[in-house]
Amino acid sequence: MQSSTRKGLSLEESRALCNKVLSYSKADHARVNVDAGVHLFTRTAINRVTTAGATEDVDVRIISVFGKRVASTVTNRLDDASLERAVRDCEALAKLSPEDPEYMPELGEQKYSDVNAYYPSTGDLTTEARARAASFAVKSADAAKVMASGFIDVSAGANAVATSNRLFGYHSGTGVASTLTMRTLDGDSSGWAGDEGADWSTIESERIAADALRKCQDWRGKTSLDPGKYDVILEPAAAGMLMLRMMNVFDARQAEEGRSFLSKPGGGTMLNEKLFDERVTIISDPMEKNAETSTFTGGGLPASRETWVEKGVLKTLSYSRFWADRKGVPPKPPGLNFVMSGGMASIDDMVRETRRGVLITRFWYVRPLNPRIASFTGLTRDGTFLIENGRISRPVTNFRFNQSLSEMLANVQMLGSPTRVCASESSTVGPPIVVPALKVKDFFLSSVSDAI
Amino acid sequence: MENNPGRRDFVKTLGAAGAVIATTGWEALAWQAKTAPGPDAAERTLVLLALDAVKSAGANYADVRITRGNQESVSTRERQITGVSKSETYGIGIRALVGGSWGFAATHDLRRDSVVKTAREAASIAAANNKVNPVRINLSPVKKVADGRWITPHEIDPFTIPIEQKAQLLFQTNEEALRVKGVRFVTSSITSIKESRLLGTTDGSIIQQTYIRLGPNVNVTAVKDDNSDFETRSAALSPMGKGWEYIISLQMQETAQRWAEEAVMKLSAPPAEPGIWDLVLHPSHLWLTIHESLAHPTELDRAMNYEANYAGTTFLAPPEKVLRKFKVGSELLNIVGNRTETGACATTGWDDEAVPAQSWPIIDKGVLVNYQTTREMADWISGITKIKDSQGCSYGEDWSSIPFPRMPNVSLQPNPREVREEEVIAATKHGIFIEGDGSYSIDQQRYNFQFGGQAFWEIKDGKRTRMLRNVAYQARTPEFWNSLDMIGGKSTYKLGSALSDAKGQPVQLNAVSHGCPVALFRNINILNTA
Repeated sequence: MQSSTRKGLSLEESRALCNKVLSYSKADHARVNVDAGVHLFTRTAINRVTTAGATEDVDVRIISVFGKRVASTVTNRLDDASLERAVRDCEALAKLSPEDPEYMPELGEQKYSDVNAYYPSTGDLTTEARARAASFAVKSADAAKVMASGFIDVSAGANAVATSNRLFGYHSGTGVASTLTMRTLDGDSSGWAGDEGADWSTIESERIAADALRKCQDWRGKTSLDPGKYDVILEPAAAGMLMLRMMNVFDARQAEEGRSFLSKPGGGTMLNEKLFDERVTIISDPMEKNAETSTFTGGGLPASRETWVEKGVLKTLSYSRFWADRKGVPPKPPGLNFVMSGGMASIDDMVRETRRGVLITRFWYVRPLNPRIASFTGLTRDGTFLIENGRISRPVTNFRFNQSLSEMLANVQMLGSPTRVCASESSTVGPPIVVPALKVKDFFLSSVSDAI
Repeated sequence: MENNPGRRDFVKTLGAAGAVIATTGWEALAWQAKTAPGPDAAERTLVLLALDAVKSAGANYADVRITRGNQESVSTRERQITGVSKSETYGIGIRALVGGSWGFAATHDLRRDSVVKTAREAASIAAANNKVNPVRINLSPVKKVADGRWITPHEIDPFTIPIEQKAQLLFQTNEEALRVKGVRFVTSSITSIKESRLLGTTDGSIIQQTYIRLGPNVNVTAVKDDNSDFETRSAALSPMGKGWEYIISLQMQETAQRWAEEAVMKLSAPPAEPGIWDLVLHPSHLWLTIHESLAHPTELDRAMNYEANYAGTTFLAPPEKVLRKFKVGSELLNIVGNRTETGACATTGWDDEAVPAQSWPIIDKGVLVNYQTTREMADWISGITKIKDSQGCSYGEDWSSIPFPRMPNVSLQPNPREVREEEVIAATKHGIFIEGDGSYSIDQQRYNFQFGGQAFWEIKDGKRTRMLRNVAYQARTPEFWNSLDMIGGKSTYKLGSALSDAKGQPVQLNAVSHGCPVALFRNINILNTA
């Protein structure tokens, strides 16, 4: 049973809405996806709350199919007439559409695992509670005579899928990200800290304020350092911002068609080849604590725990239903979260083990460069430090990097304990990314950035 | 070609930069008066109801928007459809100012009691925030617009074109590309957008606007026979604030073969030798460099630290130290902010605070003279600029998004003397000509940037010669723009656009365009990205 305060639609409400939409369908096949919930936020800048808000919405996506002619419509108008019109529109569109030879018939009933991904601590978060959390940052910034800019982003709701072949799935979940940047009043230094989770009670607002302030204070007086290849220590947020780019790379079709760094020259894929350091293991798992996801995809395919990379070896690839059918293998959806195994090393341990290297807090503007080698460019931000002889010796200016992520994962030297991180540049709650801090060798810091 | 003025052109007189596009646009104005629809009566009633409720709940100012966004998208891959979809999002968003704090609430439920509840919630959120470090906000003056109406100038509503016709056009385009030996994959799509936006403010303005935009896309991939290498060529097809006549003008089928041939040529093209080269940047590429290195840094909220936690701040800060003083680029650099350029994606009649669309100089002969502002922000720099009014840059993505400062069209003005592309190339001894936008990345203060492209051509002794690949250039913004040595005339001026420029927390998307001529930059650092 749903509690009365739970955001989004309940299981019963979702099922009723799906059934109503399907009852309007005159197509050969139909599918409905419902996405209902609230989005809450509180934003601080220049040591005050600048904006806060609450948005409530329900999106209904309809897919109508005649033979292999397929179309979709989305509406957020829930009265009967609007829903029926959306179905009719969708059917008209499908009839007009050319055939999609890759269309696969809608799924029938499926069995999904249960996952408890909805945390009332997050779903019930009030404006006042968010303002109180923000006030830790504001007070701490006022006292230290620096400037705080922060963002608390909350989503809470439910999604459902149903087909005319009697499939029905329901999932509810929450997510929250709290991030903070502290800058000196003269704009000469900046520090960042942040947390992300499904459960608000895991977000440590006071620690975030203390960490961002410490980074800001420690980064003052930075000096230049020559670009080049360095041993780098990536704090978990920095590692997560890069690994976010690895989430959807394990696609069989891309690899088999020669369009991926997992394509093998001459044909075939790198499946079962050792690509990365043997301490690199990457899985996706809807049950991962505080990083839970739905146990089904938008099309209704069950999503379960998958091991993509084990001890550095590529173990499996994802197959869409069409590609799986073509290749005669079971379909396998891409992971809905990204969980990388770690080790026991703390950041301090990594610093102690580094003769000369760079400690990186987080990245910014990470963009693809060359898909043949999975290389990316981007910049360091909000706390970059030189390490010499096992100690942080001085703060240094920011860098642009140009780096192949495949090569980076082959160059891993030390791993920390995995933690869920806020990996999106906008600090919006995203697909859960659980990664350790990493020490890697020969990371290419290609040019200096003056940005603070 | 694209620098036709919009229906309004309130060019300020800080410098001569704006004069290049300052003509009357009376034809467009007359067309608007005939065509722009007024508000739906039921929606108007709901907006007034929300304004009453939010005022009664204690707001000293509020604005209310009902938006209805419709999108239709057709996408293909080689000889098959990959998606046909329509979407509609409809709702009401209410922004309330209580004391010195903003609150926002929005809902898709447009029943009267829900609208009243949402309006009260907006005021209550603002009041709760006002307890944490309240400040005073001075909103700049604005004239009441009792019955404002505007619609994107267009000839053919893209929603009247049947879906089969759109798919057929894409299939024909794909087929032309697939004829070229070595091309293995082609994807293409057309997104049609129509949005109705009804704005009401507690100042008494009621404004109904309708936006039409189109986003075409073609991407060709060539793969070596043995799968050992692949290259893509994305066509430089900009989104535009126009009707279907824009898609017709693109002649996609006719041009597809050239994109395909370029994708294949890239496979065997040599990389550029890293080092110092001159660059000739085509507008299909340069628009994005302008967007990232000049348009974002001149957002005043960035200069005032409002975006420090995400989008970042700017090297053009603080305003009192840089306005009328900082030399961003060479004397050829004249940058105009506008929401009036016909066909551009950020063009409008009024902004989300009922401020009329206008055009104003931001960089005049290389020197920063103004920023992009809203009603809250104009007051922050009016002592320096002597401009009391907002420049009209308030925008919320849709009903569910709080209006805040967003980028207008920010355009590089062409040479007043006619200079052709060939003349710019002829002035280059050792250079690279870049077409189309590729990988792009810039730091959070907009100093260090690195941009790729789609097609790279070596220029030798004033002539465009062989194709190169794996090219990117990396520079520091002020040095780059101070190396601007030659710009093309009006005949080379084109708009480049993005439908989804991201900024803000929660992140919002904005459609925006940048006009520019072809331009020559001296001594730029070139990298090999292989």
